[in-house]
Amino acid sequence: MQETLQTLVGGLSLGAVYALVAMGFSLVYRTMGLVNFAHADIAMIGAYAASTFYLTSKMPFVVAMVVAIVVTGAIGLVIERVLRPLENKDFDLMLIGTIGFGIVLQAVAILIWGTTGRAVPSPVRSAPLDVFGVRVRTYDLLVMAVAAFAVIGLAWFLARTKRGAAMQAVAMDHEAATAVGINVGRSNALAFSIGAGLAALAGGLVGPMLYVDASLGGALGIKGFAAAMLGGFGSIPGAVVGGLAIGVLDSYAAGHFQGYSVLVTFLVFTAAIMIRPMGVFGERTVSRA
Amino acid sequence: MKLRIGGLAAMIVVAWLLPYGLGSYAIHVVNIALIYALLAIGMGLAMGISGQINLAQVAFFGVGAYVVAILTTHNGYGFWAASALALLATVATGLFVGVPALRMQSHYLGIVTLGLALGFLNWITNATITGGADGISGIPLPTLPGIDLSSEYLYYYVELVVCVLGLAFGLFVVRTALGRRLRAMRDDSLAASAMGAQIPLLRMTAFVLASLYGGMAGILYAGLIRYVAPETFSIANMFILLAMVIIGGRRSLVGCVVGAIGLTLIREWLSDFSTYAQLGYGVVVVLMVVFAPTGLAGVPGLVRDAVRRRSRTSGGPRAELRPFTPYEVSPPPDDQATGPLLDIRAVTKDFRGLRALDDVSLSVLPGEIRGIVGPNGSGKTTLFNVVSGFYRATSGQVRLSGRDTTATRPYTLSLLGVARTFQNLRLFSHLTVRENILVALDRTRTHTIWRYVLWPPGVLRQERRLRTQAQELLDRFGLADFADTPPGSLPYGIQRRIEIARAMAARPRLLLLDEPAAGLNGEEVGQLAHMVRSIRDSGTTVVLIEHNMGLVMSLCEQVTVLAGGRVIAEGTPPEVVASPAVIEAYLGDSEMAQDAREAAPPLTATTPHLPSPSPSNSEEAAR
Amino acid sequence: MKIPSLLPGKRATAPAHAATLAVDDLSVHYGGVCAVRSIDFSIAPGESVGIIGANGAGKTSTLKALMGLVPRSGGRITLGERDLGKVPARDMVRHGIGYVPEGRHVFPGLPVEKNLLLGAYARRWDDETRATLAEVHELFPVLGEMGTRLAGALSGGQQQMLAIGRALMARPRILLLDEPSMGLSPKLVSGILDVLLRLREEGLSLLLVEQNAKLTFGATSHCLVMENGEVAMTGSAQELSRDERVRRIYLGL
Repeated sequence: MQETLQTLVGGLSLGAVYALVAMGFSLVYRTMGLVNFAHADIAMIGAYAASTFYLTSKMPFVVAMVVAIVVTGAIGLVIERVLRPLENKDFDLMLIGTIGFGIVLQAVAILIWGTTGRAVPSPVRSAPLDVFGVRVRTYDLLVMAVAAFAVIGLAWFLARTKRGAAMQAVAMDHEAATAVGINVGRSNALAFSIGAGLAALAGGLVGPMLYVDASLGGALGIKGFAAAMLGGFGSIPGAVVGGLAIGVLDSYAAGHFQGYSVLVTFLVFTAAIMIRPMGVFGERTVSRA
Repeated sequence: MKLRIGGLAAMIVVAWLLPYGLGSYAIHVVNIALIYALLAIGMGLAMGISGQINLAQVAFFGVGAYVVAILTTHNGYGFWAASALALLATVATGLFVGVPALRMQSHYLGIVTLGLALGFLNWITNATITGGADGISGIPLPTLPGIDLSSEYLYYYVELVVCVLGLAFGLFVVRTALGRRLRAMRDDSLAASAMGAQIPLLRMTAFVLASLYGGMAGILYAGLIRYVAPETFSIANMFILLAMVIIGGRRSLVGCVVGAIGLTLIREWLSDFSTYAQLGYGVVVVLMVVFAPTGLAGVPGLVRDAVRRRSRTSGGPRAELRPFTPYEVSPPPDDQATGPLLDIRAVTKDFRGLRALDDVSLSVLPGEIRGIVGPNGSGKTTLFNVVSGFYRATSGQVRLSGRDTTATRPYTLSLLGVARTFQNLRLFSHLTVRENILVALDRTRTHTIWRYVLWPPGVLRQERRLRTQAQELLDRFGLADFADTPPGSLPYGIQRRIEIARAMAARPRLLLLDEPAAGLNGEEVGQLAHMVRSIRDSGTTVVLIEHNMGLVMSLCEQVTVLAGGRVIAEGTPPEVVASPAVIEAYLGDSEMAQDAREAAPPLTATTPHLPSPSPSNSEEAAR
Repeated sequence: MKIPSLLPGKRATAPAHAATLAVDDLSVHYGGVCAVRSIDFSIAPGESVGIIGANGAGKTSTLKALMGLVPRSGGRITLGERDLGKVPARDMVRHGIGYVPEGRHVFPGLPVEKNLLLGAYARRWDDETRATLAEVHELFPVLGEMGTRLAGALSGGQQQMLAIGRALMARPRILLLDEPSMGLSPKLVSGILDVLLRLREEGLSLLLVEQNAKLTFGATSHCLVMENGEVAMTGSAQELSRDERVRRIYLGL
């Protein structure tokens, strides 16, 4: 029991990060119909940027995060602008284009930060809490809290603001959205930069939990994608549920299958997605597949 | 043609002489490049030809190499025996990775295959049998009688032979029946299945082909390097492989080979600046995707088009649509003996609470031309989709010549003699007009593809027969001038005719035409009527959905009227037009519209009485 | 009962900047294929014009090209003195042109109320918007009752009302409607006709693209018949509805 709970807690904090990755990914997919394979690498850049501002420039962790989010948001704008000619046209080409951007971002990361990678100390130094015999690291709690805030913030933005509604409208029907006066290009650019910002947030948060190097994106990203699929592509609650599910699955697999955790995770994921290709929350708004 | 053979001969000579001009390191690089070429061909077959986003190619590569390594070092197998088993293991892996393709496509498939590749990488990095991160060294030298394969120069020739054979087989597949079906599936899997292609089997075939080439590359790699380690099969290498295929041109196997060899050489050349090289690949992939989606292989075509466009004014003999040659009249079937050809019994179709078809019954006798009319959204196309197997009726039955086909798949129905056209043209856009026809002419079951492995001459013989028939059909429909153009560039009227020709290529007993006159001008509508009559006289029963009442009245013996998913009238055209229900629902009389205008509420009138299921609406009415 | 008034400035005076929308020599090509060939027509303030034709005759392309949703390969579009040729599709609504797309195209995953409010995206969301919303609710009471329902869950007829209501939220002077009768039962179609007539009475200009000739002749004063991308006939609704050919092909008589 104790052990199961411990696994669960460990899984939830990493799951919160996957959920953030999946959320950014879903937001971009939902608003632009673009499967952004570079999303993971944006998260990696975010992790590097945040750790650099935090460790090298000695900024407070929060400020470092904010700066990293702004930087990656700008990268998102560039990617969106370059791939704009393909929007709403060739789905597979766009997908490959983002893979191309992923390759570029990895190379850029190696050029700037080298190949060795770095360990980021936790910004919260207090001792782990003991809750009914389960050790909970305070940083894990912080991660979950930040992720929860991001989810609520995004949900609020989409549901309550005019621009958020417009962004969803663009996703559902870009032509009708144009007809009511929405600037589709600008809305997409905004969506993309918010998505990139969420990726950076995930990357920055995961820095102190994992080792930061150029391949961080690969691991984080594919699990983030898997989370998005499992929850239902393009669905925000789906991203949260999927992220937590993958996190817990991951942590369980790591506990029971040690070295083979990734293999087990993806086999289980493949089986799950075969049974329910649309994920938990289905693909409500965009039917491109 | 001569030029082609000459070029091919020159390339073979160059390839043969190449080792004489290269140092020992250079030949090593060339050997690696050839291995990547094989990998890229497999990737091209899955992605470019079949449209299956397969990001596990590097895992196939790994399975091939690792199985050879494990069997030779752990189990003491000889190199070639291990290779044979490795190939089997790779194909088995290919089948496994391909299973998700039966349920999902596009990016879903990309993520799942990438995830499985990552799982494989995780396994080889951690398992003891694979030597963990250190990998396996000491793979024995492959032996060939009389040839010392420890020399990389001689190994080159082995690889060259495998590669050339691999490319030749790949091209053979692409240019014959199987490849056409794969490409048709890529362009429009729905239309392909309506032409008799068994989509699930074809998707698995695509993965088997990809894994076959991946496995061969892995075996050659194990024999060349004689050491395997996880980093060779990393996700980064997967993406580089993808870059090769995209830059070379995913729809052309030769392009894939060029991309693979070119990029390997460039990577080697820039090995001191590998990060910059990676940056370069990424940038080139992005640029290619945006500006030249067909890759290097597509560049000659783009140039040719540009030149042709510039010189259009000079123009040679202009391509034109020639008149349709009627079919020979076949004696009318002794009807009544057989009963109805198509018998729809009380079919209902629901979509998530929306009832598109409501208890529709309809039977069509052999040799009939049946019209189905009704307002947009009245369920006509849904009915076609039920009959042709795309939708399964929620309840009720569809029978074809007495056989229950309610749950029969589209490809089986196609082979049983049901052909159709689509309301929004669904031609295979990247195939030529001739190939579009050829896809439908091919009446073989998809599983006959075993002949590709066991009896290729049979494939060629069938191919010759199909091509003769295709030419006949193109001539009959007056399309010969456009045979080798992709349909997308042709005027709408011609595309409509291609669709009918394609449907007729399947030699159907029952032809379903979904709004064949949409977008046609008066003259074309006349030609269409002529064509449909001739098709019927040749013994094919025709059911057509149409809005053009003039056409329906002149062409159809029987007309069925649908409204709101129900049959509201059936009979000869004059009977139907006179039916009050039809006048009310569809045709309407212009007087009624006039009345409506006169009765238009003045400004002070109450709210318009739009029907609504909400309860408060009745209050509204009561007030 | 208060009369809903959906025109800008309708309450006090006639529209201050009422102007004729003129389409001159408009053509549309897709690739090498000509979908619309050199079409001319104009809509004076308060006038209503219909375009009928079969599927694929180029009606929708004409409307989309007018809106700027598909590229025009030639032609001029003016609103009074103003050239709309360079105005991007998203700004058409700011020139008083509302658009009800074919197949309704409501935002299915958003509530009805949000759909309507998005119709007023180009305006500030203020008291005036709320007043317009109330007017639309009055015109289509069902939209008010179903305010929190997702638009995708509405029936076809309700979605059509929503699509029209959404376009009205921008207080357009000219309303472009693309096949509002599609997929609706005859009874619902006559309901749509009532609404269109009512909007006309209020002085809104209409451009109605329809396959349903009966509805078009009922709702408009002047009509074009399109065939194969070209205008085959023009005339008043009455004239055309008596024309032998039109009666045969489009009315099936």
